[in-house]
Amino acid sequence: MEVTKSELEQLNEVEPVNTSTPVDIDIAPTEIIIEEITRNHKLLHRHRINQDEITIGRGYQNDIILADPHICPLHLSLTFAQGVWRFNDNNSVNGTVLESNKNNKQDKAQRIVNDGDVIIIGKSQLRVVFSNRQVAETVVFSPFESLIDFIRHPIAVFISIALFMLIAANITYLNQPTEINFSHLFVSAFKMALLFALWPTGIALVSHLTKHDPRVLAQLGISFSFFILLWLSYLLEEIINFNSASHANFGLAISLLPVGLSFSLFWLNSYIGFHVSAKRRMIVSISITALLFGGSYLIQYSKKPEFNPHPQYNATIMAPKFLVAPSSNVETFLARSAALFKQASKAAQKDQEM
Amino acid sequence: MKTFFTLVFILLSQSSFATEQAEKIFAQLTPSLYQIKIIDKASGEKSSIGSGFQISSDGLIATNYHVISSYARHPEKYRIEYLDHQGNSDQVSLVSVDVINDLALVQRQVDTEMPYFTLSQKKPIKGEKLFALGNPHDLGMIVVPGTYNGLKKESFNERIHFTGSINSGMSGGPVVNKAEQVVGINVATSGNQIGFLVPHEKLVKLLNDYKKQPPVDIMQQISAQLMASQNKLMTALISSRWQSKELAGKAIIPIIEVPFLRCWGDSNADKKDALILLAITNCSLNENTYLSSHFFTGSVELDFRYMQAKDLTDNKFYHLYQQQFSQAGAGNRAGKDDVSEYQCHHDLVSPTSSTSTGQTINNKSIFCTRAYKDFPKLFDVLYLGASIDKKQQAILSHFTLAGVSQENALTFTNKFIKAVSWK
Repeated sequence: MEVTKSELEQLNEVEPVNTSTPVDIDIAPTEIIIEEITRNHKLLHRHRINQDEITIGRGYQNDIILADPHICPLHLSLTFAQGVWRFNDNNSVNGTVLESNKNNKQDKAQRIVNDGDVIIIGKSQLRVVFSNRQVAETVVFSPFESLIDFIRHPIAVFISIALFMLIAANITYLNQPTEINFSHLFVSAFKMALLFALWPTGIALVSHLTKHDPRVLAQLGISFSFFILLWLSYLLEEIINFNSASHANFGLAISLLPVGLSFSLFWLNSYIGFHVSAKRRMIVSISITALLFGGSYLIQYSKKPEFNPHPQYNATIMAPKFLVAPSSNVETFLARSAALFKQASKAAQKDQEM
Repeated sequence: MKTFFTLVFILLSQSSFATEQAEKIFAQLTPSLYQIKIIDKASGEKSSIGSGFQISSDGLIATNYHVISSYARHPEKYRIEYLDHQGNSDQVSLVSVDVINDLALVQRQVDTEMPYFTLSQKKPIKGEKLFALGNPHDLGMIVVPGTYNGLKKESFNERIHFTGSINSGMSGGPVVNKAEQVVGINVATSGNQIGFLVPHEKLVKLLNDYKKQPPVDIMQQISAQLMASQNKLMTALISSRWQSKELAGKAIIPIIEVPFLRCWGDSNADKKDALILLAITNCSLNENTYLSSHFFTGSVELDFRYMQAKDLTDNKFYHLYQQQFSQAGAGNRAGKDDVSEYQCHHDLVSPTSSTSTGQTINNKSIFCTRAYKDFPKLFDVLYLGASIDKKQQAILSHFTLAGVSQENALTFTNKFIKAVSWK
């Protein structure tokens, strides 16, 4: 099994990037670092050893003791001679596999261990890293960091949740056709907040389970801020729908706004919760957004009847204070209505031909 | 005492006279009476039945359009057959229709001259005894005595009001006077002894037109009739006086002064817990044209709603108001095979009011139309106007027209929008 360098990097960002040149391989240092890693290349332990021979096995006399039952008591040893490290399997039951990070067949045949190679013994994996390995450049804090620091402040989280509840209460109030009391509004807003808190807490739980920092407050703060932004975009869409006539088409631009906001939310959720590469984060956020909006579009599309006897029109009306656009006169309205007759006749003819 | 006996005697003799007469009429006219059956070709069974009667010696049979409508719309799927009093049946062909008056002429093959019903020369007089013939519920031919009660009031297309039981299956059967002349054709019932007949003049006209020049294509004939009828109706609506009327003392709405549009009112003034006061005036044409069991046209409906908030924020008032605004539907029944889907557009419209108050109004207006597939240049039209210029009050004006031309629809819309305003 050949695992390439790029794959390794993708799987674990904390792994130092190998920038070694062929010169480094020829002159391997005596000081060596052996990392115990999981199959997913997550780091478990790191051993720094400064000696010419290193023994590895289940027995307590070894330099590196592994508890894996599939490993022999004296499984293998690494020796430094003539400027290179070689490994030597001591006739172990389950053998030793060297996963070289370079396509260097000769090295493999000679059992030469290079920087970044992974040794598989039993069900455990060991990665060999030379001490002169160069690490990647320090990552500067992104501008989001300060935003996240601001949003994860308990007061900011409290305010965003309170604002969200206010909006939820307002929506309930507007939709209720009968009289409604304050406690009812509060309970429904509280329920709504609990329901929407499932998403950030769910993500925090997943990041906790995957051995990342949960950062619950940051997730809550970011998610609720974006829920508020999404509602604002909906309000903006309503105002535009109310003010615009059907011939002025803002439809597409305004419907893309919630898509963009959702994408940003998912991206930030993953930025806060998981240490993954930028490319991976982008792919995951795009996938979730596509799944959400594409899925809901598909559901709508599949529910659409073959023939709809009811007129479909934009019925958005709002209080006069939201009205900013000027009105047309009746003649313009009728002239635009006249065009519909042609459209309808065309649609009827098209159906007839089908 | 003597007078009492005389009275009883007169009553008895009259009723026995009526029975005798019915028997005589029935016996003489039965050979010219038919049951009309629409046979589904694939299954070979009848899919609907009605009655019919022969009106010429060479085999022309009159019936209702709605009896044979499925054949007229889908001649490839059905055939028409007659069944006479002796149980003979044979195929007939559809030769002419009048969809507006719900009449149709079918032709049977005859070898020799046959007896037939004569059409009356004059109208019956109110209270005159008439006899309706037909085959209700496939139970066999019957005769039903009844009374002529003049023409139906407030109707756009004339119908005779007949007091007597007309049941389904009798459609297309003749109604004769004592002289055995046809004065009407059974067409509909409102239950409880109220029946409606098509006046015989309509049949006379259809017959004369057919004799002059038989129609080339039934669909084209229907199309022309629908076009002419909508023109007559819309001209009457547009050129009549539009009386401005107050609704709830706040809105001005038009009431078109034609007898055939009937208005009804309603409000929720009795509901103390309602958040919005609602007053409704609804005017509609109480008849429509049957084209098939899923396709009606010729309907007209006008609907006005005045709404006033009671202790509500503007936002909530408009939110609830929008729910009323978003529920408009078609005024007539029509399916996928009959019409296209609705095409709609919306705009903010501020009409220059034609009402005496001269008040302005600002509306969000919706206009939708769908085209008829088989009848070119005919459309169903729907308009909705929602006032958006008052914080706590609103007028919702709405109409639907079925089966009208573009020109008539636009003229009517223009007049309608300008006739609604604030007081």
